[in-house]
Amino acid sequence: MVSRSEVLSLCRAMLRAGRQYPHYNLREYTKRRTLDGFRMNKNLTDQSKVNEAYAEAKAQFVVLERSVKFHSLYPPKTKNIMEVKLQ
Amino acid sequence: MASKAITSTIRRALSKPHGVVSRRHHLSTAAAAATDYEDESIMMKGVRISGRPLYLDMQATTPIDPRVFDAMNDSGINEYGNPHSRTHLYGWEAENAVEVARIQVAKLIGASPKEIIFMSGATEANNTAVKGVMHFYKDTKKHVITTQTEHKCVLDSCRHLQQEGFEVTYLPVKTDGLVDLEMLREAIRPDTGLVSIMAVNNEIGVVQPMEEIGQICKEHNVPFHTDAAQAIGKIPVDVKKWNIGLMSMSAHKIYGPKGVGALFVRRRPRIRLEPLMNGGGQERGLRSGTAATQQILGFGAACDLAMKEMEYDEKWIKGLQERLLNGIREKLDGVVVNGSMESRYSGNLNLSFAYVEGESLLMGLKEVAVSSGSACTSASLEPSYVLRALGVDEDMAHTSIRFGIGRFTTKEEIDKAVELTVKQVVKLREMSPLYEMVKEGIDIKNIQWSQH
Repeated sequence: MVSRSEVLSLCRAMLRAGRQYPHYNLREYTKRRTLDGFRMNKNLTDQSKVNEAYAEAKAQFVVLERSVKFHSLYPPKTKNIMEVKLQ
Repeated sequence: MASKAITSTIRRALSKPHGVVSRRHHLSTAAAAATDYEDESIMMKGVRISGRPLYLDMQATTPIDPRVFDAMNDSGINEYGNPHSRTHLYGWEAENAVEVARIQVAKLIGASPKEIIFMSGATEANNTAVKGVMHFYKDTKKHVITTQTEHKCVLDSCRHLQQEGFEVTYLPVKTDGLVDLEMLREAIRPDTGLVSIMAVNNEIGVVQPMEEIGQICKEHNVPFHTDAAQAIGKIPVDVKKWNIGLMSMSAHKIYGPKGVGALFVRRRPRIRLEPLMNGGGQERGLRSGTAATQQILGFGAACDLAMKEMEYDEKWIKGLQERLLNGIREKLDGVVVNGSMESRYSGNLNLSFAYVEGESLLMGLKEVAVSSGSACTSASLEPSYVLRALGVDEDMAHTSIRFGIGRFTTKEEIDKAVELTVKQVVKLREMSPLYEMVKEGIDIKNIQWSQH
């Protein structure tokens, strides 16, 4: 039985993890994909489907955390154009 | 002392609250002497750019998706056995992993895992398909049909076959880039051994009418080979519906690693071919050599991901393509899209700007990573042969730019690309006397240029 607050806290945790990518494109993609992924399943009513979707998201969260750590060990040496102009 | 500094930097990098490497915390250890954060710009090949360009060249290659990277790491570190070693756990583990990847690739295209042969990329797969099939049937079949817009590796393999004595028909394409089905039907002879037509063109992005071509090949009982490197994972591919006998695939076009690809060889009815790589008989005897386990796992994970994300990515990329095209068309006139707009993969936009010189446009667009013509033929200054086959004028062919949009492209990047392109084209057109003449109403094609 997965509760609403658990789903929301997983979403928040994934967004927080994705913000730590030093790479512009991966950061933006993770934010967009996580929000869209959770929104797509927003209106599920069948509890077993909700549990299934939650388990899938949890597995992807594990992969996300690992890949953020790995990618952070190799940050880009110069800033992306998109970040430079923002200054 | 140096090792303490390195570990503390790594700890700081791992626990950083936000992603952008901030200027104040630059690495000051001896080990990191190469990076210099005071001067943010990059100086390369005599050009100074203020940061890493935004990447809009997804047809040349794509960045590796982090989820794919994750799937590749474990095998390199722990499961490093040779998948063909039959006597110990390391070999069994590696073989299982390769078989899992094979199933993932097969599911993406609607084939059976036994029909997938892993290779080093789409170029090797194209070579094996074209040369292998023709060499196998060289006593009875002497004719190959292909198009003028194929990838260089297919065209070069056909030229090699011509030198060996085979005959090759290079079908012309219509002005929208699609193959004329009647011409194909007429070109098929009783001794045609292979028809090779790519599914999605890498330069102009048009999608050929694959089902109809497959139907024609089935009627005449000719094997149908297609180079689907740009197609898998982006448009729905079904080898049974398209009646495909051989299909080349590449990993690094669908967010996988470079150096791996696959060839689909149909088993029912059987397609037979001569292998290019002789050796211990791995991969059903068609491609000997140790399987590149790490790359293959990456390829499988990329295919799996592509299958799940195809619809979502397609919607996103289509929106970005419209944003790009409308953004440029609002501010500029004389913009021509090369290739059919209806039958096109949305991530590939090949535009020609009239009255602008191509090389100077590319030199001015250094902050956007785009390409003009395909990466394989960029060494020469000739306009691309694909655009020439479409019947595009020489001057328009020189100014063509190929924008490649992908999964990771953002709206802001597209807006910035539009802004930079428009700025550069307007600047070049202001300097161009031809454009002045056109604005005054003179028809350029009917000018009598005087000899000096």
